[in-house]
Amino acid sequence: MIRPALAAALLLAAAAAFTQSAEEIVRRLEANQRFRTQEAEGTLIITDRFGSRTKTFLSYAEGQERMLLAFTNVEEKGQKILRLKDEIYLYFPEAEEVVRLQGAALKESVMGSDFSYEDLTGEKSLLDLYEVHLAGRELLAGREQFLLELKARTRGVAYPAQKLWVDVEEYLPRRAEYYALSGRLLKTLEVLEVRRVGGRSVMSRAIMRDAMKKNSSTEFRMQRVKLDEPLPKNIFSLEALSW
Amino acid sequence: MKFLLSLAWKNLSRYRRRTTITAVALAVGVAVFIWMDGWLLGAELESRRNIIWYEAGAAKVLNREYLEQIQSLPLKQVVEDPAGVERALAGLGLEATRRAVFSGELFLGEGSLFVKAVALDPATDGRVFRLEETVRQGRFLQAGEAETLLGEWLARDLGAAVGDWVTVRARSRFGAFQTLDLQIVGILNCPNPIINQGTIFLPLDLADQALELEGAVSEIALAFPEWQEPEARLGEIRRALAGFPGLAVADWQELARDFLAIAEGKRAGTGMLLLLIFIIAAVGISNTMLMAVYERVREIGMMRALGMRDLSIRLAFLLEAGGIGLIGSALGLVLGAALNWYMVRWGLDLSAFIGDMQVGYRVHSVFRSAWNPQALVGAVVFGVLASMLISFIPSSRALRKRITDCLRHV
Amino acid sequence: MKLAALAFRNIRRNRRRSLLSGAAIALAALAITFMFSWLSGILGDYRYNVVHYLTGHVRLRNAEYQANERLNPLHLSVAGSRELVARLEAEPLAAAVAPRIQFATAIYREEQTFGALGLGVDFPREEKFMQTAGSLSEGRLPRMGQREALLGAGLAGEVGVGVGERITLLGKNKYLGMAGMSFTVTGLARFPVSGFDRTFLLVPLDMAQAMLKMQDEATEVLLLARQEREAGELAARAGRILAEAGRGEVEVRPWDRIGMLVSLIRGIDVMYNFIALFFFILGTTVIINTTMMVIFERLREIGTVAALGMKPGEIVRLFFLEAFYISVISAFLGVLLGSAITLLLSRTGVDLSRMLAGVDFEVSAVIRPRLSIRSTVLVFLYSVAVSTLASFLPSRRAARVQPVEALRSI
Repeated sequence: MIRPALAAALLLAAAAAFTQSAEEIVRRLEANQRFRTQEAEGTLIITDRFGSRTKTFLSYAEGQERMLLAFTNVEEKGQKILRLKDEIYLYFPEAEEVVRLQGAALKESVMGSDFSYEDLTGEKSLLDLYEVHLAGRELLAGREQFLLELKARTRGVAYPAQKLWVDVEEYLPRRAEYYALSGRLLKTLEVLEVRRVGGRSVMSRAIMRDAMKKNSSTEFRMQRVKLDEPLPKNIFSLEALSW
Repeated sequence: MKFLLSLAWKNLSRYRRRTTITAVALAVGVAVFIWMDGWLLGAELESRRNIIWYEAGAAKVLNREYLEQIQSLPLKQVVEDPAGVERALAGLGLEATRRAVFSGELFLGEGSLFVKAVALDPATDGRVFRLEETVRQGRFLQAGEAETLLGEWLARDLGAAVGDWVTVRARSRFGAFQTLDLQIVGILNCPNPIINQGTIFLPLDLADQALELEGAVSEIALAFPEWQEPEARLGEIRRALAGFPGLAVADWQELARDFLAIAEGKRAGTGMLLLLIFIIAAVGISNTMLMAVYERVREIGMMRALGMRDLSIRLAFLLEAGGIGLIGSALGLVLGAALNWYMVRWGLDLSAFIGDMQVGYRVHSVFRSAWNPQALVGAVVFGVLASMLISFIPSSRALRKRITDCLRHV
Repeated sequence: MKLAALAFRNIRRNRRRSLLSGAAIALAALAITFMFSWLSGILGDYRYNVVHYLTGHVRLRNAEYQANERLNPLHLSVAGSRELVARLEAEPLAAAVAPRIQFATAIYREEQTFGALGLGVDFPREEKFMQTAGSLSEGRLPRMGQREALLGAGLAGEVGVGVGERITLLGKNKYLGMAGMSFTVTGLARFPVSGFDRTFLLVPLDMAQAMLKMQDEATEVLLLARQEREAGELAARAGRILAEAGRGEVEVRPWDRIGMLVSLIRGIDVMYNFIALFFFILGTTVIINTTMMVIFERLREIGTVAALGMKPGEIVRLFFLEAFYISVISAFLGVLLGSAITLLLSRTGVDLSRMLAGVDFEVSAVIRPRLSIRSTVLVFLYSVAVSTLASFLPSRRAARVQPVEALRSI
């Protein structure tokens, strides 16, 4: 026989989980992806009608505003992308100057992938851009997910509507769908693997697909992830680009 | 003077054959000159027309920032109050039409291409542009419908046909992604290869709704007859738009600097042709004129013997020659103008001769002429003056001879 | 008395008349000869540009490149280009071989980007094609192995960069990854086609290969034949060389089977033929009227000769022969002179740059008129035919007139 107090506590807990609002889910989701610092080795596999290409890189990130990607695969070895707040800089070993991307150039895709430079910038929370609504729960690959529906609050949001599947246990996205104003599905993001690093969960394998093209996708994998560990000094500076 | 005129006139009818032959020679020369000049002018204008009729109009009113970044087609930089602009320009005697321009990805079946998309107003576009004339299959756009026009080369590259549905993926004025499903209602073949190759057209009201334009447009295209020398007009327009500080006015030359026809150099080369026509025509009439006068040396001698003054004789011949010149030039003018009118209105379609289109893209094969009033007037003046001038020499020579020598001339 | 001798005597007897009609025929023949040569020169100039700047006489490309041309697919390349070039150079029919990499690039300078068409070329080999050394307007050619670039003068002006300054080129490499490399501008060039002036950027092939990660590859290899008409044969031989080397993925095309350009040239050719037609009409008119004039002026003579007993048939033949001799001699002289002028001008070329007024960065358009069978032999035969035929009708008519009537008409 369950003691009434315990039963009440369990009920309350269950109720709390149920009544958790969409906003809270998003807040937890974003909190989970915030690290003081992050360092990783990564791989991008870009696929289009001409085939697949693999790029490898080292990535460093500090907070939400600074990021450095340094490519290590043969073809792009030594190239770097530096993000400082809303600005993007490109470094090429064979160029004698650092290239600053602005305006329309930010809309271009990175390395022909399904991500644009613009996707790399921006620190706004989803809550600032979208109204969120909890539509229910679904099972994805055997795991239970919150299904969130997002509608842009203002004009100018690149993806006016999104659907987000958030794992109820880990509070990490498992799947995302991005929609155009017309309601047409543009892209899908699938998280294929989640890893535990230092007590936290990180997405270690994900694939972004262009839903309008037959064979267009970008898979990205992170290996050797280190969280909240000190990074090399001054790594997020223009000077450091040429090291 | 009246006597001389009637003498000249009588002589013209007396020597009918000679008059006819010379006049005809002159007429053909003048006609060919007018026709050729019209054609060359048309060819020269062709490359400019390509820009004016299909892309730029005579000038455009644009957002200042848009003009600076025009290569990337930034939909963000708009003309907010097109109605206001149009009101400000009313009364200047211009034609205007609104267009929104953006870049997008066009999907058909499994293929996709990046294109330039132009949203136009089917009701007013024809005031400035001549796109409708270039529709080869299907029909032009209708407002409010989800439809599109494709350039022929683009359609060919995509394997698209009238009736197919395509999807365009683009970003709205504020940067949100949008997709438009459009049905191809027409395929056009336009002398402007940029349009043929990479531009699609759709109705403006559709784009306005889909891309959150809220009544704003990328440009207001203008047409006015003085497009070849737009500076004065531009000044006028700028003054009229003084109340719109964020807007700029650019004429077609500024807008189309990149699209300079490869055949620009052809123009100077073909000017040589006019010179040659001139030479041949001059040869033609001088020949017969000279002959005619030389044959009449005896006549001149008789006139002198009868007491006519040298000056009068000279004048008589001059008038006669002028008469021939006038008749010939007038005839030539009519003939040349008729030919030119045909070429201006209908053009000459040489596609039958150009033949095998399997080899590549169909090239514009209709050659159109243009009106050149200067040439028309010039040709007539030339005809008359040249005839008079040419008769001068032999008549002078005859007048210098002794009267008896003249009479003895065979 | 032999008609021929009589004809000659008549010609010499009435020098003025013979000279006049002869001159007309000669001048008409000269003008038409020159016109054909001139048009041929213009067309030749155009073909020259296409062959030397765009396609060569024969073009080798990856067979799949064409279908995806819009995307500028570097991975659809001609591999092993060094060896291939060596093999092709060994072919006696090949006058020159040039490997190229064509790539879309953005010139980054002072935080702004400008689109351009990049060409990685082998400068020493390219000399026979683009004559880069001769096109230099400033500075010098880039050296192979150095990060140096040659820009079209128009492009340089737009970017705002001069000789000695640095630019960074951005683009996509063969693996669709980013590519960036800095170059020093060592020279500016003026290309004979203005469009090239504003879009071309030339860098050493090995540097382009390094930047775009293309190892020993090219997007195309161009061949020049020793003579244009050997292009087809050269293409066939190139095909064999490729087959022997087991390079089935490389496609060979002679220049006249490369799509759009051919249609364009054909279009221009047809237009010129049309113009030629009108010239002929004009020339014919001149010749006809001259000849007719001559005949009619000599009616008295015809009458006299008939009264003296010459038969109508003989009269016709006499005048026919006279016309024939005059026309042969004058047509010959006309064509000869026309050819001489053509040859002279073809050596120096006619520089039309001064006439191409008001266009920024326009370059010299030098036309070299060219002789051909058409412009010489054909014109000669034609002139003779027309003038003798033209004399036929009137002489027949004149011969039928009664001697009395003829003697009376003056």
